[in-house]
Amino acid sequence: MILNFKKTRYSILLTSLVVLLFPFMTSAQEELPWKEASPSSQAYHKYRQKNTVPPYGLARVKTLIAAIKPAEDETWKLSNKTYMALSLREKFTYHMIHAEVSSQNCDVSPPILDEDKKIFGNLPDAFDEAAWSERQDNFLLSHRDSVMALISASVKRTNRVGLNYKAAIVAVNGKEMIPFLIETYKLERKDYDLLTVLMLLMKKGEYKPFMTSASFVKLYGSKSTYLSFIDFNKANEELIINRAMAFYNGLR
Amino acid sequence: MFFLPAGLKAQNSGFVKIPAGEYWIGGRTHQLNPLRKIRVAAFYIGQTEITNLDFEAFVKATSYQTDAERLGNAMVFEPGLEEFKWLRDSTAFWRFPNGISRGGIEDKMDHPVTSISYADAEAYCKWAKVRLPTLDEWEIASRAGAKSTYFWGEDQDKINIYANIWNGRDHLSADTSDGYLYTSPVGSFKPNALGLYDLYGNVFEFCEGSLKNDSKTRKVVHARGGSWWCSRNSCSFFNSVDIGRVSPHASFSNQGFRTVEMTLE
Repeated sequence: MILNFKKTRYSILLTSLVVLLFPFMTSAQEELPWKEASPSSQAYHKYRQKNTVPPYGLARVKTLIAAIKPAEDETWKLSNKTYMALSLREKFTYHMIHAEVSSQNCDVSPPILDEDKKIFGNLPDAFDEAAWSERQDNFLLSHRDSVMALISASVKRTNRVGLNYKAAIVAVNGKEMIPFLIETYKLERKDYDLLTVLMLLMKKGEYKPFMTSASFVKLYGSKSTYLSFIDFNKANEELIINRAMAFYNGLR
Repeated sequence: MFFLPAGLKAQNSGFVKIPAGEYWIGGRTHQLNPLRKIRVAAFYIGQTEITNLDFEAFVKATSYQTDAERLGNAMVFEPGLEEFKWLRDSTAFWRFPNGISRGGIEDKMDHPVTSISYADAEAYCKWAKVRLPTLDEWEIASRAGAKSTYFWGEDQDKINIYANIWNGRDHLSADTSDGYLYTSPVGSFKPNALGLYDLYGNVFEFCEGSLKNDSKTRKVVHARGGSWWCSRNSCSFFNSVDIGRVSPHASFSNQGFRTVEMTLE
């Protein structure tokens, strides 16, 4: 072991003292009990994680994924030849249900207290320990109009924008979908991650009224983290929707 | 001449004894790592992460081929990527952690080994007759008796004294403000009160154990601490509470491990 330890008598004695007192230090303190998230918060966490399975060529795509050489690494991808033989719709389905590379281990949104009362600045990770590869990112970007059209058609059938769809909308900077996203949100007003998508689109568009707002500072400012949030309330909901519509109207 | 208490190993041996006893771990509002008191047997945990030199000895002795070499699936980083974006690089493995084009480890033998998977870490442990710490052991060791998010308290601003992390606002441009773009030699930053180095930085450390929300259909492994990639504005998992998750055969250039000595238990 190559170490440049600069141990002193003091530090060794201090370490010794800490070790000797160690179990006592931790057990001699009064403890507040652990707080468990409410059932509604836990249910909302699960709701947030749900992806939408597209219908386009689903059976064939599923069969092809199942036939990928079983390997220890679960991020195997279809061979170029097989992939290129897929139609555009099938490729879309493939990308929405299978991510091709490993995901960084801290790319995770753990359940938190009162999750159902929060609007987050970022979306959770859509594919657990996997993520879209460069090939997959490139597909989304180079077929953005088709991707948006396929997502819209799929959402119209289910009234649900899965996490994978939300991630795709952000990836392709789908600002044209803002009215549709607002309309879909208003059907149930319970998927606050749709409000997150609206904010991410405004951020990508560097929409000044949003970029200079208090909520932007809280969600994306220098003191923010990837898990930063603002409270859900009617005022914040309206503000996000109105700003997003103003941003959209300014695009035309 | 120093007289150490009975049961405490000398500091230059590479392992620190954690006495048997009851310990508080977890967080009061953490849903995956709830606040609780647990009892553990004594264990000896490595002062530092396993280095390239350590891993090279293993490879030389066994001709072991890592997952990254077999599968060509290592994930590498270069400045300019969006948050949580990594590149798959078939040339990357522990000798070239970020791919051949970004240089090797010739002058980094005292850095933690990276671009190895959990399966590779397990293979090393089997050879070296050591084991990975459990999630609970890692936390007890990292806390050094503290109940706080960090072993020094709640003040995140002190992180740079103790850990090689990413100090940039994002990962779009290089950050070498602490002297290192990627890994640093083990033990370059201040240790915790037990003399354990790099707990919250340098590389994430594989542990044994599972979480209640782990998939029932596939193996998920966990790593703790933080890494040179971790920033205040991204995951900020560089603490004693949070727990990451990764595929058992995934290799990242910010992922390594430290070990627990079995023969001393």
